Amino acid sequence: MSFWRQVFEIARKDLLVESRTAEVALMTAPFGAAALILIPLAIGTDAPLLSQLGPGLYWVVVLLFGMLVILRKSAVDGQPQRDLVRLLGIDPAATFAGATIATSLLVLFFEIALGPVLIALYNPELGSWPWLFVILPLVAAGMGMLGTIASGVTTSIGTRTSLTPLLIVPLSLPLLLGATQALEGLRLGRSIVPWLILLVSVDLALAVSGVLAARPLEEAVT
Amino acid sequence: MTTLRSRWLEILAIGVIGVSVLRSMTVEADVVQGDVQRIMYVHVPSAWLAFLAFGVTVFGSVAWLRTRDRRWDRLAASSAEIGVVFTGLAIAAGMIWARPVWGQFWTWEPRLVTTALLFFIYLGYLALRRAVIDPEQRARRSAIMGIVAFIQIPIVYESVNWWRSLHQTSSRSSIDTPLRITLLLGVVAFTFVYAVLLRRRLELARLEEELETRRFESSQDVAGAAITPPSLASVEQHD
Repeated sequence: MSFWRQVFEIARKDLLVESRTAEVALMTAPFGAAALILIPLAIGTDAPLLSQLGPGLYWVVVLLFGMLVILRKSAVDGQPQRDLVRLLGIDPAATFAGATIATSLLVLFFEIALGPVLIALYNPELGSWPWLFVILPLVAAGMGMLGTIASGVTTSIGTRTSLTPLLIVPLSLPLLLGATQALEGLRLGRSIVPWLILLVSVDLALAVSGVLAARPLEEAVT
Repeated sequence: MTTLRSRWLEILAIGVIGVSVLRSMTVEADVVQGDVQRIMYVHVPSAWLAFLAFGVTVFGSVAWLRTRDRRWDRLAASSAEIGVVFTGLAIAAGMIWARPVWGQFWTWEPRLVTTALLFFIYLGYLALRRAVIDPEQRARRSAIMGIVAFIQIPIVYESVNWWRSLHQTSSRSSIDTPLRITLLLGVVAFTFVYAVLLRRRLELARLEEELETRRFESSQDVAGAAITPPSLASVEQHD
């Protein structure tokens, strides 16, 4: 089986599990939407203020609640599943790439699902909104890769559910910065190219780290 | 004599720190900020040391993945611990400096926020090390995390250039020569402190590993001794 076929099969497996449980669609996304409804009650329901803060709050919700999307995979994949993948002779880099693609697609779905909630409740100025088709996938890919690496590092550790977010949240700062500053740039009519370069650079760095770490990670969970 | 020879690094460090402290107390104060500016001689070297320590952690992590030699893992872990301490010191010194100059201990300023997150990233790294008991697994997992965590360093460094905020940009060219020399002396002194602490921590880590191995071996003896096979003679008597 070719490398890309392995990647496809791993991603398909993860997405199939999600399609059966619909955890992200039926649980995590509504949970994130509920958070977006609750925040104005805490900071005040001033419409101009909410319009200004909306995009930033959206990214914070995506980042924090996206943890649930990321942690979901490591909770589903037990030792028997990992052993089976290993016995099938799947390339560890393909396992990493497949898992990353599946997680990134789920995070992207989560981002898109929260988009209408943001627009309806906060009425943000989006400016050149077609740029979102670039920004959203870049953030989702970064979170997917970071999540796959961190989940791999914390697999089968007792404190995994608290340790994984501690590892991911501070490390996702460049993603949060790139996303919020790019949206701010769009709103103010400034160039967003430096922020896109930041997002692409972080994604590339994570992709290289993930592929290189794939084999040691697989050995670590043996 | 042997003690003195083995402690040459500590003695040298104390000497350099003494000169640095003396110089930082006697050099002319900043015209605008006055004496409070002297905290720069602690704040900047602490931040430098944190970067150096985390750089060494990456180096140790890569070296461990290549060689699987325990010494590199000990180097990475020891350096990360020192890095966390000095990141904390840099934040604390920065806050003390900020109070009289900016009017408050904390502002939502990019350098401060990114440095605080850097602190948490490496706290996570140390938490990961504590969470894994098996030494081989611990080394492997933390080596990966040690490399990934380093992504944050360029962002912390560049934050003052990307967002022009309250924090000043790189100060090498904008400060007077006497102050710059004092600052460089502080950096050298702190680097010596790092070398001393790292040396001691590495020794401690080696001893911890030895203790861990001995405990493991002694526990093996106890587990074996608990199982006593029935004697053949007594079995035959019952029959």
